Amino acid sequence: MAVKDIAEAVVVMDRVKVVELVKTEIAAGTEIDEILNAGLIDAMDIVGQKFSDGSLFVPEMLMAAKAMKAGLEELKPHLSAGAAVSRGTVIIGTVKGDLHDIGKNLVALMMEGAGMDVVDLGVDIDAEKFVKAAIEHNAGVVALSALLTTTMPTMETIVAAIKEAGIAVKTIIGGAPVTAAFADQIGADGFSADAPGAVELTRKLLAA
Amino acid sequence: MNRAITNFDQKILDSIHKYSLELLSDTGIRFPSEKALGIFREHDFRTDGEMVFFQEKDIQTALDTVPSVFTIKARNPEKDIRIGGDSYMMAPGYGPPFIIEPSGEKRNALLDDVHKFCKLVQTSKYLDFNSSIVVQPTEVPQETAHLDILLATLLMTDKPIMGSSSSEIAARDSLKLAEMVWDNTDEPVMISLVDSLSPLQYAAEMVDSLMVFAKAGQPLIVHSSCSLGSTGPITIAGSLVISNATTLAGICLAQLINPGTPIVYGLGGSPTEMKTGGYVNASPEDAKHTAIVTALGRYYNIPCRSQGALTESFCLDYQAGMESAMMLTTAALSGANLSLHACGTYGSMLGMSYEKFIADEDLCGAVKKLMQPVEFTDDAFAMDMIKELGTSGNYLMEMHTLKRCRSEFFIPDLNIRTIHNKWLEMEPRDNVERAANILVKRFAEYEKPEIDPDIEKRLVQYVNQRKGM
Ligand code: B1M
Repeated sequence: MAVKDIAEAVVVMDRVKVVELVKTEIAAGTEIDEILNAGLIDAMDIVGQKFSDGSLFVPEMLMAAKAMKAGLEELKPHLSAGAAVSRGTVIIGTVKGDLHDIGKNLVALMMEGAGMDVVDLGVDIDAEKFVKAAIEHNAGVVALSALLTTTMPTMETIVAAIKEAGIAVKTIIGGAPVTAAFADQIGADGFSADAPGAVELTRKLLAA
Repeated sequence: MNRAITNFDQKILDSIHKYSLELLSDTGIRFPSEKALGIFREHDFRTDGEMVFFQEKDIQTALDTVPSVFTIKARNPEKDIRIGGDSYMMAPGYGPPFIIEPSGEKRNALLDDVHKFCKLVQTSKYLDFNSSIVVQPTEVPQETAHLDILLATLLMTDKPIMGSSSSEIAARDSLKLAEMVWDNTDEPVMISLVDSLSPLQYAAEMVDSLMVFAKAGQPLIVHSSCSLGSTGPITIAGSLVISNATTLAGICLAQLINPGTPIVYGLGGSPTEMKTGGYVNASPEDAKHTAIVTALGRYYNIPCRSQGALTESFCLDYQAGMESAMMLTTAALSGANLSLHACGTYGSMLGMSYEKFIADEDLCGAVKKLMQPVEFTDDAFAMDMIKELGTSGNYLMEMHTLKRCRSEFFIPDLNIRTIHNKWLEMEPRDNVERAANILVKRFAEYEKPEIDPDIEKRLVQYVNQRKGM
């Protein structure tokens, strides 16, 4: 029995075992920080790496994240007040006029897996809703997805509205037809061509 | 026989139908459009909020009024197309916002590309009709881009067009332009693609354009697709049921609005790339799916759409050829009546390529040849000649051969059929460069088809006015 068993259970997606092992470690008096870092967070780094090198498939990666979150839930009541479990809050949505959500959902799930609080507004979302949610949830990043050339101009409107609202939140954009050049052109803070990249980018922006 | 693409019999089709009816009556389909909901309520359908529930008899009544064959008029009557039965009609790429250059670079598609592809469609031996988004021109205002494309397909080609379904306004624009060209738009003069939104729902704007086209009696491709494993179950069986139920609901709405509205039935089922979550069009699963969908089309006696020469590749390599051929050949041999994306697309329909367009034309031609039944007439058996020549015959010298030497076999334009020495000496040898040479010729030989100058003026005026010019 060791904390590294928790990490192993996360990697093999065994939610029940993760919860059981976390409970056992808490009962045994193991440092909460150690369970969190060496058990759960390290595990997600391994999972992330395995996903990047193609040895873990998306549903497996998502199940592992779910197992990690279940462990985290057990840990939460024991974490000292104010301890930052979350890496920050992200508002995500597909922009007005656009209903493509497969990529957006994937990005949202992977951000959650990486320990961010994600508020998914869904599809067909206008500037007002993004601004409102960013304020309400005190978000660090607003992530916009668009799959249609016809809805890309809406990204510009939303980025402008967020700037106009004067809130300290970064904007990132993505989706198959979107390019880094377009992100620059509309003054977004970042662009990523895929979900792992979006997680990395958000991590950096939240830490900045 | 238990080959993968033929292992479905009547019983399997019956169960797909039965489970679809179960979803239609128990789970329902979401139609977030007040107008559509009003029509369903008027016809006493059970609704709950935006959910609409269908009974077997509703679906059957709708299916009874769908024609099994119909004709879409072209500007040039010689190019009218018949959809259904044995026919198989092909259109080029649909929707790519990018052009993939031979260097591998991608750039935004422009209106000039739309124009160039119109020239290729017009001069194509194999493509039968236009796409409404052969590429998405990115530099023009997006809210009126559909008008630029419609105008181009109407003026630069005389083959049938697709209407634009991107919004109710776009649908109305399509009809307005058609009314200027054809005296009688009660008959089909275009076809438009309406996609549902998996699982089990339609987007408001798609329903609205479906309603506009149905009211005008203009044909619709009612298409539902699941990404296997993300917007539908990972299994073909489960996804088929979702897509079938959703498409049947859309067909039902069109028939309630205007019984007899011509429909092309379509279901898609593309795997989700499990290593990345990406979308994979060109795959044996998608091809297998196509085979079952065409069987369902026949089951319902409705013409059927399938995908075209799709590939995940970004260059004219073995992968592009292999995937495109697998997809198009399966569609053709399993009995599809219509394919979008028959020429030119790369990378899951995101990029269009001029060189692949030319390569795909050879594929389209080969596939069309493959589909033609072998001739078994007296002239084809040629018994008299065979007896006369006996064992000494040189058939190359015969009139029978001479008469048929230009038509009997498929003749590729790009693919080579030569000996190794000649191939080595060929200048250029590379197929991308050879395609580029063909392109130069094609653009040079293009002639704008005739059109009544008054009609042209009115079309241009309408488009300019709508664009606020
Ligand atoms: C904020 O930070 C970030 C960072 C990264 C981000 C991000 C945000 N968002 C995404 N990413 C990135 O990370 C993800 C994972 O790595 C990636 O996300 P993606 O979304 O790119 O990738 C997904 C994981 C998988 N990919 C996808 O899910 C998209 C696949 C394709 C085939 C596609 C699909 C599936 C659909 N479609 Co549509 N569709 C196409 C797409 C062609 C293609 N190959 O992309 C495209 C985008 N569609 C198109 C069209 C035309 C349409 N579609 C429509 C409808 C649909 C379906 C409903 C059938 C379905 C969507 C189902 C759904 N629930 O999402 C219609 C529009 C509906 C609407 N208003 O939105 C309709 C208009 C169809 C019509 N009738 O004409 C084309 C766009 C044309 C254009 N020029 O803009 C298109 C290229 C296909 C084509 N050739 O026609 C990255 O882009």
